Amino acid sequence: MIEIVIAIAICCAITVSLTLIILLAEVTIGNYGECIISINDGARELKIDGGQTLLACLNEAEIYIPSACGGKGSCGLCTLQVTRGAGDYLPTELPWISEERRKENYRLACQIKVKNDLEIIIPESCFLVREVTAEVVAITDLTHDIKEVRLKLPVDSDIVFKAGQFMQIKTPKYKLCDEPVYRAYSISSSPDDETGLEFMIRLVPNGICTTYVHQFLNVGDMVTVNGAHGEFFLQDSERDIICIAGGSGMAPIMSILLDMRYRGIKRKVTYFFGAMTKRDLFYLDELKQLEKDLDDFTFIPALSQPKPEDNWQGETGLITEVIERNMTDGSNSEAYLCGSPGMINACVNVLTGKKVPEDQIYYDKFG
Amino acid sequence: MKMNPELQLAQENMQPGIITLQGFLGHDKRDLSQIIDEDNQLVKSLTTTHLKIAAQMKFLRGQGECGLGEFIEYGEHFQIRVDSVRGKMRCPFEDPGLIPKYNITVKNLALNREITYTDMNIHFIEIHGFYQGEGSLFRLNPDDLVIILEIESTGDNAHRFDVPTE
Repeated sequence: MIEIVIAIAICCAITVSLTLIILLAEVTIGNYGECIISINDGARELKIDGGQTLLACLNEAEIYIPSACGGKGSCGLCTLQVTRGAGDYLPTELPWISEERRKENYRLACQIKVKNDLEIIIPESCFLVREVTAEVVAITDLTHDIKEVRLKLPVDSDIVFKAGQFMQIKTPKYKLCDEPVYRAYSISSSPDDETGLEFMIRLVPNGICTTYVHQFLNVGDMVTVNGAHGEFFLQDSERDIICIAGGSGMAPIMSILLDMRYRGIKRKVTYFFGAMTKRDLFYLDELKQLEKDLDDFTFIPALSQPKPEDNWQGETGLITEVIERNMTDGSNSEAYLCGSPGMINACVNVLTGKKVPEDQIYYDKFG
Repeated sequence: MKMNPELQLAQENMQPGIITLQGFLGHDKRDLSQIIDEDNQLVKSLTTTHLKIAAQMKFLRGQGECGLGEFIEYGEHFQIRVDSVRGKMRCPFEDPGLIPKYNITVKNLALNREITYTDMNIHFIEIHGFYQGEGSLFRLNPDDLVIILEIESTGDNAHRFDVPTE
């Protein structure tokens, strides 16, 4: 009997000891203390409690680095240079950072845990990114699966953007996600519209943010957005402009066209828009008006498989075939593409075949 | 099949917040091995195979790619769109490489039904015979796949799932 009691006592003692060791480890090993993140050669310093990811630390300090996957290392958007203190590359970072970029110390901010002082370099434009909460003032069906959402910016908002850039929309916790997540969407309104922002959002089956927008978001709701982000915008040149985008890919192109009208830019523009049937077309009146307002703008919508009842008199075929037929020498052109990687790759092939210089083809690849 | 260390690790990787926010198991409380075993039995009862299902998913994906991100018609009653969202994911079974985030939506107009699957779904089915747990957003029921994608049976009752011609 005594032996059993002793055995139980020993077991209890071991259990209590192990628990104490674990608690002690949590307090000591998991506690990295205060760490300093030095940004752009000391231009700004953040004092933070170690243990969080670099991306989370920067977000807390209201420095918004774009990220479209909720910090899971699956979008590769949050790359920045860490020149000291990050340690070796993690296996989760390697697929996103090329050999060349590794030599320049590019890292994935969502994968690096801040355990000691860091030195990082970020583009100056990151300091211009702002986060605001804005009211939804209109939601319009553009097609059966694309909605236009208009947000009214607060009076004191100082969000600035170039036509073609994107914002991150914060989806709150709801039935498809247990925590808020950000997703990137191009702005479709013009930068001169200082009172609001517009987006064209296509429903992605089971997509967290698009499902929220299409099924749960209402006029009057408040939405948090941050931006602007991205390197996709109209270049300052005298070249002719070719735009190619279907579906919600129209968003950045529409912003660029509206901005050209506002700024009186007189360059020649041709916009190729591909869809399957007439019901997938939208904004036709607005684009017709832009044809009148802009100096030299042609909108070429094309249907790949028009229905007889569409009575379609316009271009038919895949957008690549339509470009092939309608474009001659592209050597003095630059091109702006927005869509899936398959569409971008196919269009780049056609454009280079038309002598558009490859370094003059700009794209916002969804993939 | 029994839970081995590889499956145990995969099951851990499939929890919410590890690779994706929602994970791959939904509200399913079964072991991963049990989920795979039960779907395997179901696929057998449909007289087809995981490879055959994955092959048809891949084939239709290939046809849909021609639409360059928009819906395109294939055959007499399919419409297919291959669309992508930003990013790539690692496989929870820890297979090498990253899998792009493509969504393939197939509408079967003859049945008035549609299904959406991803490149990860194709990989799961082809390599692991895994259709995701019950309640997972991207769970695919083998019988839905067989019917909507018109996957022919491998047994004597081939063409069992042919669409009625009426």
